Amino acid sequence: MSRFEIGDRVTVREATTLFHHRTQAYTRGRTGVVVEHRPEWLIPEHEAWQLEDGRVEPFYVVRFHQRDLWPDYTGLELDTLETEVAEGWLDPAGEVTQ
Amino acid sequence: MPSPSDLDALQRRVLGLSPEPAARLDSPYWISNEAYGALRHVLHDVGGQPDAPVPYVDKEEEDWELRTYVLCEVLAWRGVWNAEVRRRRENDLGATLYLGLPYYARWLSVAAKTLLDKGLISVDELAAKIDAVRARKEAGS
Repeated sequence: MSRFEIGDRVTVREATTLFHHRTQAYTRGRTGVVVEHRPEWLIPEHEAWQLEDGRVEPFYVVRFHQRDLWPDYTGLELDTLETEVAEGWLDPAGEVTQ
Repeated sequence: MPSPSDLDALQRRVLGLSPEPAARLDSPYWISNEAYGALRHVLHDVGGQPDAPVPYVDKEEEDWELRTYVLCEVLAWRGVWNAEVRRRRENDLGATLYLGLPYYARWLSVAAKTLLDKGLISVDELAAKIDAVRARKEAGS
């Protein structure tokens, strides 16, 4: 069961991490849009310790605007970056209010 | 490839920067939470970090690199580890080794350590094999 649908706006959580994880620092607290569902998989925080009964979560491809990731980005407004994020790292971001 | 004068210019620019005085990281008695956060940063997460340009080298894998790749895959097929364990163990090498070793040398180092950890080979066995291979190479065969 996926919590988010294609087109949903999501914010990457500013969660505490200990040791291994795969959530890039530059995505923390940033908001993007779900563009693809990926298969459920063992989360990297657990897979990295080869846990037999580790937690399995849905993964999403999230698309960010480069300008939302890098404050001094000098490229084009339409430039984007896509990365895979496990569901536990994502909060719903709601609609754009501006 | 940057020219020597490019590198000189880069060095002058760096020397011109005036960093804030920093505490030496030499087993200090205490560190701030901020410093602990920075030290905990996962090494492979390099996006957005400042770096200097490096030359682009269009190079094919060498035999030892391909063999290392296959070795690591085979260890995964046999359940010794998985690719995420390998990545974690590469990070666990620490910054000096992680950034100092060639890419596949990182793989090879952590494969050896994993086999030792799991008792699948012994350190004596591994050292003896390295000596045997070195002797064979030196004999020119």
